[in-house]
Amino acid sequence: MLYGLDLSLTSEEGFAQVKDCLSSPVAKLIIWGLLSALLYHLVAGIRHLVMDAGVGESLEGGKLGSKIVLVISVVLILLAGVWIW
Amino acid sequence: MVTNVTNFSRSGLYDWMAQRVSAVVLGAFFIFLFGYLISHPGLTYNDWRALFEQNWMRIFTLLALLSVSIHAWVGMWTITTDYLTPMALGKWATVVRFLVQAFCGMLMFVLFVWGVQILWGI
Repeated sequence: MLYGLDLSLTSEEGFAQVKDCLSSPVAKLIIWGLLSALLYHLVAGIRHLVMDAGVGESLEGGKLGSKIVLVISVVLILLAGVWIW
Repeated sequence: MVTNVTNFSRSGLYDWMAQRVSAVVLGAFFIFLFGYLISHPGLTYNDWRALFEQNWMRIFTLLALLSVSIHAWVGMWTITTDYLTPMALGKWATVVRFLVQAFCGMLMFVLFVWGVQILWGI
């Protein structure tokens, strides 16, 4: 990812190179995979912070929270897929 | 007896805080970056470069990179001390665990320095 950032910022050709590379189907799939992991981690992490604040710490709340996290993550991951393709 | 010296701050409470502070920074950074990329569909090289030429973006990115290092260290420390144990690996566990942690630490340092070079090299 850092190499991509480096290449895309160093020169116009580098930027085009990164753009080309990211438009291939395999690269899109990899980006989608990485993005999915990041989004799920982000949503679950926000749930952690919410629980740190004392919300949803009961057994029932915990079960509900985990379901909410899964639903939101699936929706975001699907949206990310739409965005990429 | 103190048997654990590899955690980030030698205090679980401080590690806990470092993990959360870095998490908030990373959350803000990625939400911002997603927002930027989604609102600029036909992104050109000039737009992209202009974004990273601004000082606040360089500082924000560097802060995010520092936060990745901290967040990853706390996370990898948790994983290595949970799973690379004498119960799982036998008597060489400490050596293996230390080497894995050293590798992670090196990687984070290299990525951080490389990031500084990219951000202030353009």
